[in-house]
Amino acid sequence: MATDMSATGGSGAFGARRRAGAGQALVYLALAAWLLLAALPILWTLVISFRSYVDAFSSPLKWLAPATLENYRALWIDREFYRNFQNTLIVTAATVGISLTVGCLAGYALARYRGATGFWLLILALVFRALPHSTLLPSFHALFDALGIRNTLFALVFVLVAINQPFTIWMLRSFFVNIPQELDEAAMVDGCTRFGAFRRVIIPVMWPGVLTTGLFSFLLAYNDFMLSSALTNADRMTMPAAIAGAITAESDALLMQGIAGAVSITIPLIVLVALFQKQIVSGLTQGAVKG
Amino acid sequence: MKLRSFASFVAPSVVLMLLLLALPLAMTVWLSTRNCTLDMETVTVTQTGPFGARESTTQRARLDADGRAAQACRHVGLDYYRKVLGLGSGNREGENEFRSALRFTLLYVAGTTPFVLVGGMLLALGMNRVTQRLKGAFIAASLLPFIVTPVVGALAIKWLFRDNGLVPHVLEIFGVQLYWMAQAWSAQLLIVLYGIWHVLPFAFIVFYAGLQGVPQDALEAATIDGASRWQKLRYVTLPHLMPLIGFVTLIHLMDAYRVFEPVVVLTQGAFTTSVQYLTYHVLLQEGNPYKASAAAVLTVAGIAVLLVPLLRKTWREQRHGH
Repeated sequence: MATDMSATGGSGAFGARRRAGAGQALVYLALAAWLLLAALPILWTLVISFRSYVDAFSSPLKWLAPATLENYRALWIDREFYRNFQNTLIVTAATVGISLTVGCLAGYALARYRGATGFWLLILALVFRALPHSTLLPSFHALFDALGIRNTLFALVFVLVAINQPFTIWMLRSFFVNIPQELDEAAMVDGCTRFGAFRRVIIPVMWPGVLTTGLFSFLLAYNDFMLSSALTNADRMTMPAAIAGAITAESDALLMQGIAGAVSITIPLIVLVALFQKQIVSGLTQGAVKG
Repeated sequence: MKLRSFASFVAPSVVLMLLLLALPLAMTVWLSTRNCTLDMETVTVTQTGPFGARESTTQRARLDADGRAAQACRHVGLDYYRKVLGLGSGNREGENEFRSALRFTLLYVAGTTPFVLVGGMLLALGMNRVTQRLKGAFIAASLLPFIVTPVVGALAIKWLFRDNGLVPHVLEIFGVQLYWMAQAWSAQLLIVLYGIWHVLPFAFIVFYAGLQGVPQDALEAATIDGASRWQKLRYVTLPHLMPLIGFVTLIHLMDAYRVFEPVVVLTQGAFTTSVQYLTYHVLLQEGNPYKASAAAVLTVAGIAVLLVPLLRKTWREQRHGH
C-alpha cells in the first residue's frame, strides 16, 4: 500500500523498485525472526516432552533423540492428571457460563442506560480491573473457611467469575452499544417487556460479541494459576496449578511429567486459536477502538 | 432505560463484585490490623516410667468448648505494616520485604513497557507490508505467546534456559557460559524477557488494527508533498495511533504491576519477589494471613499511586471531549 507508492516516488523507477525489494526481504526476515522467537519456547517444550530426562537435558545437547510417550503415560495415568483435566473442564465451563449470563445483563443495561450511575459503575469496574488478585486471597481464606467452602470448585468458580466481571461487562457493553437502540424499541412497541426484548431480539444478534467475550472468559479461567493453587488442594486443582506442584519438586521424573503437562495444557489453546483467531483479534481490538 | 430496570439488570453483576471483590478488599484492610495466636496454656504432665514418676511442664493450645484450638485475636494496629516495611526495632538493617518486591515490580514495568510498545509497533508496520495471503497464519502464530497459560509460558522459557538447555548450549558455541538461574541479574532478565515475549503480541495486534484505520488520503497527500517514509510515520501514522499507544500502555501498566507467574516459576522467590508474589508467599508459605493482608494493602496503595494520574488524565480528556 503506502510503501509501494513511496517507492515509485523515488528518482529512478528501477533503482527504487530494487531498493523496495531489498526492504521487503528485510521485513520478511524480521517477521520470520519474531515467529521463531514466539514459537521456540513452546516448540522446544513439545520436542523434549517426548524424550527421557537424559535426552531432554543432555550435555552436549541432542537435536535428535529417541521418542517416548513415557512422560505422558506417567502423568495422565500414574499421577491421574485426568482428574485435574476434569477440574479444569468444570471450572472453565461454569465460569464462562455464569460470567456471560451475568455479564450480558449488566453489559446491556450499561449500553442503554444514560444516567450517571452507569458511568460510575463502569469506573468502579475499571478500578477493580486494576486490582492485583493476590490482595484478595487472605480474605478469601478467612471467608471460605468460615463458610466451610474452602477447597471447593464452587468457590473457585465464583471467585473467577467475580474477578472476570469488570472486564466482561466492559467488553460486552462495547458490543451492545453497536446494536441500534431502535431494535429493542421496536420489540417493546410490539409488546415485549424490557427483558423480553433483551432475550428474544438483542441476544440473537449479539452472538458474535458473546462468543468473543466468552473466549476471553475461557482464557482467564483456563490460564489461572494463582487462585486455583491458593484456594484448592491437589485433587481439586486445575491443570496449571497441578503441574506447578510437580515442578518445584524438581526430581527428574516429576520435571518430565511437568513438561508433558505443559504440552497437554497448551494443545487445547492452540486448537482454540486455530478455530477462533478472528474473534480473539476482534476482542483484543474492541476496547482499543472504543478508546 | 429507566433506573429501575437498569438496577435489576445490573444487580447480579454488582452483587457478585461487591461480595467477592469489594467486601474481601475491605476485609483485607481489617485483617491487616489484627493478629490471632493460639491461646497457649502451661500444663504439668506427669510421666510414669519404670524408674518412678517424672514431672515436666509443657505448653499446649487451650481448647474451646467444641474441642478446637482456641484463638486469641487482638488488634495490633500497624504492627504488620512496620514488619513488612522493615521499620521498628528488632529488624535487621535493610530488611524490607515490601520495598524490594516493589523495586523489582517497578523494574519489570519499566523494563517491559518500552520494548512492548516499540516491538509491537515495528511488527505492526512490518506486517502491513506482507502479502495478504500470509497475514492470517502470521497473526495466528504471533498470538501464541499471548494466549499460552502464563505458568506454562514461564516454564517453557525456564526449560529453554536451564542448565543443559537449548539456549546455554547455543551460547556455549559462541563461548558464553552462563547459569541463568544462578544469580539475581540473569534471573531477573529472564523474567523481563518473558514479560516482553508474553505481551508483545497484544501490542502488535492492537497497533496493526489501528494501522488499518490510518487515513489513506492523508498519507497520499504527504507523499505528493514529498514527505519521506519516516516523515509520514512521524507526522501522520503515529499521531493517528496515539490513543492506541495510550490504551496499550494503560493495560500493560495494570498487568505488569501484577507480575506473578514468572516470579514463581523462574526464581521461586530466591532472588526476586514482586508485590503480588509477596502477599502470596506470606499467606501460603509463612502461613500468616495478617501480615499477608498488610502486604496486600500496600500493594493496592502502590497501584493506586501508579494509576491515579493516568485515570485523572483520561477523566479530564473525557470531560473536555464531550
